[in-house]
Amino acid sequence: MPKDVSKKKNSKLKKTFATVRGNTQLMLGLIFLLVLLAIAFFGPMVAPFNPKVLNDDLLAPPGDLYRLGTDNLGRDVFSQVLYGAKTSLEIGFTAAMISAVIGVIFGGIAGFYGGIADRILNEIMNIFLMLPTFFLILLIIATFGSSMFNVMVVIGLTSWVGNARLMRAQAKAIRERTFIKSSIAMGESRFSILIRHVLPNGIFPIIANTTMNISGAILTEAGLSFLGLGDPNVVSWGQVISNGKGYLPKAWWITTFPGIMTIFTVLTFFLIGEGLNRVLSPKMDANK
Amino acid sequence: MKKYILKRLGTGALVVLFSVLFNFVIIRLAPGDPTRLLAGKDNPNPQMIATLQEKYGLNKPILTQFGMYIKQLLHGDFGYSYVSSSKVWDLIRVRIAPTLMIAFTGAILALFIGTLLGIYAARRKGTKIDVFLCGISYLFDSTPSFWLGLMMILVFAAVLKWFPTSGMYNLRGGYKGAKHVLDVMKHMFLPVTTLTLIDIPYYFRIARSSVLQTMSEDFIMTLRATGMSESRIFNKYVMRNAIIPTITVFGITLAYMITGVAMIEIVFAWPGMGRLMLDSITKRDYPTLSAIYLLLSISVAVMMIVVDLVYAWVDPRIRVE
Repeated sequence: MPKDVSKKKNSKLKKTFATVRGNTQLMLGLIFLLVLLAIAFFGPMVAPFNPKVLNDDLLAPPGDLYRLGTDNLGRDVFSQVLYGAKTSLEIGFTAAMISAVIGVIFGGIAGFYGGIADRILNEIMNIFLMLPTFFLILLIIATFGSSMFNVMVVIGLTSWVGNARLMRAQAKAIRERTFIKSSIAMGESRFSILIRHVLPNGIFPIIANTTMNISGAILTEAGLSFLGLGDPNVVSWGQVISNGKGYLPKAWWITTFPGIMTIFTVLTFFLIGEGLNRVLSPKMDANK
Repeated sequence: MKKYILKRLGTGALVVLFSVLFNFVIIRLAPGDPTRLLAGKDNPNPQMIATLQEKYGLNKPILTQFGMYIKQLLHGDFGYSYVSSSKVWDLIRVRIAPTLMIAFTGAILALFIGTLLGIYAARRKGTKIDVFLCGISYLFDSTPSFWLGLMMILVFAAVLKWFPTSGMYNLRGGYKGAKHVLDVMKHMFLPVTTLTLIDIPYYFRIARSSVLQTMSEDFIMTLRATGMSESRIFNKYVMRNAIIPTITVFGITLAYMITGVAMIEIVFAWPGMGRLMLDSITKRDYPTLSAIYLLLSISVAVMMIVVDLVYAWVDPRIRVE
């Protein structure tokens, strides 16, 4: 009996591997993600300098000592790039998770209960969809201060609509399925059905969309930092780019390298999201 | 159709109301008391503070204050800038045209180039060129616009010296007439190119996937069965159906175009709304910042409704639903 179970598990794992292998975007994305996580975890250990320490060599070009050069205050760009990975990932993950939770709750309630709750929530979603989000974030951060906590929460609170709409559609479809109807007939409470059956069965598109939202949050944070609205206590790529802006033709390395890392990170989550979407709807595969 | 229009207009009105409300709440909750600042930071005189509160209506109930705020806005009065003490609207007014200049040019170029590339890739689905174009589109989609702008300056302005690095025209040139136009166009080239490159992936993907989707529909199969030539099917039937999503995306992009162009303006020191926004952030000029936000929300809401209505008019399936 135990043997059987492990065999079954094995074949499931194999199937997952096969899916990943056949999906170029997903595979590339996952490989990139491993690289990124490695940079975020081990970066601070292998970084040659403390990214905030002001060395004596200002605007030194890339060389043996400073692999990617130094900035206008003598900080080592290579170390800044390594430390920045953690900041970007933290902000991306947290903001996307906040937006996923809010989206799933609102969308689930709207789609599953229907009626007046649906109409009110749907109207709220329509309104949020029309708000110029980036400017709203900007206004809030500029007014209330740019701590990392504020940045994450505000991005999360303004980007949940996509998730809510997806979850609403999912809940609406699942509500009509037989196993839900039989649960209702058996006297299970509505709320328990929503939590135990509807949400777990409808969550997959949300996962794909949340991956994309990580990309969006990282880009938004980079933009905020570039405008000088990043958390001054952490090292972020947007801030480094912003620092380098004024020394551009001469000290090109300050802006160039953190920018490349930003693209790499955003691309990673973008590829995973696209890949997951493709797994989700094989029809799209045919279109590809 | 009438019902649909009314419904959309209702949502639009709510959006504007929400934006006004957000704005009011954010500014009221902002840390720091403006009357205290005006009365003098070090040794505030209580009487002075009371007078100022009376003057600006800050001692009235919050709802009355909100009413006053709305009344002011309805008169087109966005208040005074903290920094330059001129009217906020006067600051914004002169920035609108330069912003629209870049935004429009970029949006239209991206629409044409992106759509054409998308159709091209769709017709060569699975070939090397299709894979290459898709890869490039992912790459540009992941690029922060401000960084691309900086790289443009680095390569084309600083190293190659083909274009000026920043600004809208040569201040020392003193050109007139055609020469002035040429000078402005030269300054526009890099910001517009950056914006176009950032926007192309949207149109590329939409055009590509909608062409592919239309080609896989049953009626195309039927047309093939009648023996109609592939190019005739494509020009007459596929294109017409595939172009609708592109129109919608174009409308939405137009609605958000000022948002998109703001970062690029900042990089190129282009004298538009984005530049004004950055200045008001660095100087903590909240009235200007919130006026920009309000104007943007209103213009986005209006554009979205126009797009929806045009879409419903083009595609009857929408309005029936």
